[in-house]
Amino acid sequence: MKMIGVIFSNIFDHALGDLTKHRTLASLPFGSRYRLIDFVLSNMSNSSIDHIGVITKYNYQSLMDHLGSCEEWDLNRKNGRVVIIPPFSNGPSEIYQGKLQALSGALTFLKRAKGHYVLLSSSNIICNIDYDEVFKSHVKSGEKVTIVCHKQTPKNSDERKDLVLSYKDNKVTDIMINHAYTDENLIGMGMYIVEKDFLIDVIDDCVSHGLYDLEKDFLQKYFLQKGLGINIYEFKNSVLTIEDVPSYFRCNELLLDENIRKDIFNPQNPIYTKVRDEIPTYYSSNCTVDNCLVADGCRILGTVENSILFRDITIEEGAYVKDSIIMQGSVIKKGANVQSCIIDKDTVITENRTLVGNESCPVIVQKGQTV
Amino acid sequence: MLERSKECIAMLLAGGQGSRLKVLTSDIAKPAVSFGGKYKIIDFTLSNCINSGIDTVGILTQYEPLVLNSYIGNGQPWGLNRNYGGVKILPPYSRSQKSEWYKGTANAIYQNIHYIDMYNPEYVLVLSGDHIYKMDYSKMLEYHKEKQADCTIAVIDVPMEETYRFGIINANEDGSIYEFEEKPKHAKSTKASMGIYIFKWSVLREYLIQDEEDPNSSNDFGKNILPNLLNDGKKLFAYSFSGYWKDVGTLESLWEANMDLINPNVDFDLKDTDFKIYARNYAKPPSFISKNSSIKNSIISEGCNIQGTIENSIIFTGCTIEENVHIKNSVIMPNSVIKSGSDVNYSIVGENCVINENCTVGKDQLFSIQISVVGTNKVLPENTTILPKEIF
Repeated sequence: MKMIGVIFSNIFDHALGDLTKHRTLASLPFGSRYRLIDFVLSNMSNSSIDHIGVITKYNYQSLMDHLGSCEEWDLNRKNGRVVIIPPFSNGPSEIYQGKLQALSGALTFLKRAKGHYVLLSSSNIICNIDYDEVFKSHVKSGEKVTIVCHKQTPKNSDERKDLVLSYKDNKVTDIMINHAYTDENLIGMGMYIVEKDFLIDVIDDCVSHGLYDLEKDFLQKYFLQKGLGINIYEFKNSVLTIEDVPSYFRCNELLLDENIRKDIFNPQNPIYTKVRDEIPTYYSSNCTVDNCLVADGCRILGTVENSILFRDITIEEGAYVKDSIIMQGSVIKKGANVQSCIIDKDTVITENRTLVGNESCPVIVQKGQTV
Repeated sequence: MLERSKECIAMLLAGGQGSRLKVLTSDIAKPAVSFGGKYKIIDFTLSNCINSGIDTVGILTQYEPLVLNSYIGNGQPWGLNRNYGGVKILPPYSRSQKSEWYKGTANAIYQNIHYIDMYNPEYVLVLSGDHIYKMDYSKMLEYHKEKQADCTIAVIDVPMEETYRFGIINANEDGSIYEFEEKPKHAKSTKASMGIYIFKWSVLREYLIQDEEDPNSSNDFGKNILPNLLNDGKKLFAYSFSGYWKDVGTLESLWEANMDLINPNVDFDLKDTDFKIYARNYAKPPSFISKNSSIKNSIISEGCNIQGTIENSIIFTGCTIEENVHIKNSVIMPNSVIKSGSDVNYSIVGENCVINENCTVGKDQLFSIQISVVGTNKVLPENTTILPKEIF
């Protein structure tokens, strides 16, 4: 295949606070049984991209544990594999300041991997996309760079997006960073196809000038100053973007929408994840489950509404869970009342405890705690 | 000269049709029949092997092997993808002298003597792939070694009134076997053979060859090999197993074994993380449970879309249960769709079935339980009624 995949695992870490305290954004649990990286990795695997570098910065132990040999994604092949690329630094204090610097640490990987094109992707975008189509569009356009983007209607006037494109007749007319947008604009999805040799030149050029920001220093500057040709690929299916805690919370709940689920869990291009060999979920005679996503390995004896239950969760009798995300291995004890919460892994909510947050500010209970 | 050898390897007999499962095995082998929400029957035996430290398993297939073969694949889901050992599918094959199907259980092993010799094992564990149980074979092997037996047979206590259904083993107090009784009317003991044997390979090898030369033999372990060993004064021992063990050879027993999983009075824990039952995973999304649904005392696996009412039932991976559907006391196998207005009660619905609108499958039963069955890949037209005991 002609494309090499590169996944950035630590973008937006800071915006997710306690949820990314012990993990990369890429390994953040999402949608009952996945971690964020599963989506981009499955999309790549389903689009026959088999050389993939995962660029990491810190806290990447959980990510490595999750990926293992990548057999679940069908990526443990003789010709092709997933390489974890930790920071390559000359001193103790140096860590990446931007995607370009991160890529400069991955130059060896890029040069060695077979393929003339590189697909760069963040891990905070949830969608089911066929990169073969993007690739075809890229080759057809003859441009140096393709930006994958989609349309969105802003919820309020001061909502901003990282990469906003104005365009006319399928040609980019302006690139704006961290800018307000309208439904006339296109929003960048953090996915780009770039010719490999060109990318390597750009990395050398930018990093040697102390410029590290892929969007600002490369795309925007090259477009405005050097007339970089940019192809746009508009993706029209569902896209969920995770930028901070409220959007993480909202995106999980959006999976309860049947149409979004149909788009994202397209049976033709399945989303793979680590297999845990949990038993199927047991629902007791007294349980009530309304509008929920439930993974394997749970025991549900209480009441659960509008929630996302990960694997191996126990909801005891008389417990009440509403509008919440409960991650793997957690126990909600008798009589506990949990509303608008994000309960991280292996947490115990003790008997009769009440935890109530709200949608814009959910209560987050950190990994392994007992409340 | 072989450089390496294995102490014990397993041979899993998975070639039987399981004809008593009727429409469920019309085009898949019995060990590949679904069980317990996300498993197939063979998962239990394979998981037992790897959990007992046996990493070399030959699977003897013959009847409709396609689904089974692709399910086993390279054995990775069970940790049986090894460079030395691992899982190997062994179908009958043609040889320079003659070509034939597996004539019987013993003949199946006989035809694969070369496979076993490849590992030069001291012991061979012979298993069948049609029971639901969790068993640590390494303990049985310890027993076999301790007794210096030529053959050890695992036995389980069954109620006296059911002994007529089993091969009964009569043993002395020290465990040594002195008699077999095949489905006796008046059994002397309640110890039933579980169809699990450990042999000293050198002894079994000799008897397999000898048995093959006998034109009158039916080439069966129970009928020929074991009685021959006993008659020749070889050391045969019975190894007592206690715990959950269920034959799922009939539609009724398959239904019952599934129901045992939601019966609080049956002690069969699949959750034990030290002895997991592994299965192949199909990358299905989590199950969606809608606002209109109602679920009572049931097991539901991943990838389902549940809108209807479910009571005392097992719903397998990837099923769709639409609105106004009532499912009670039933087993719905993977990827089946039950459309709105249908009732399913005391039934087994096979894999990939579609039950169209307003069907009635089975009905409530008070005394003797009679199961209705919809076969694998069947499509039930609208407004169809399937009576108790009827098979579609």
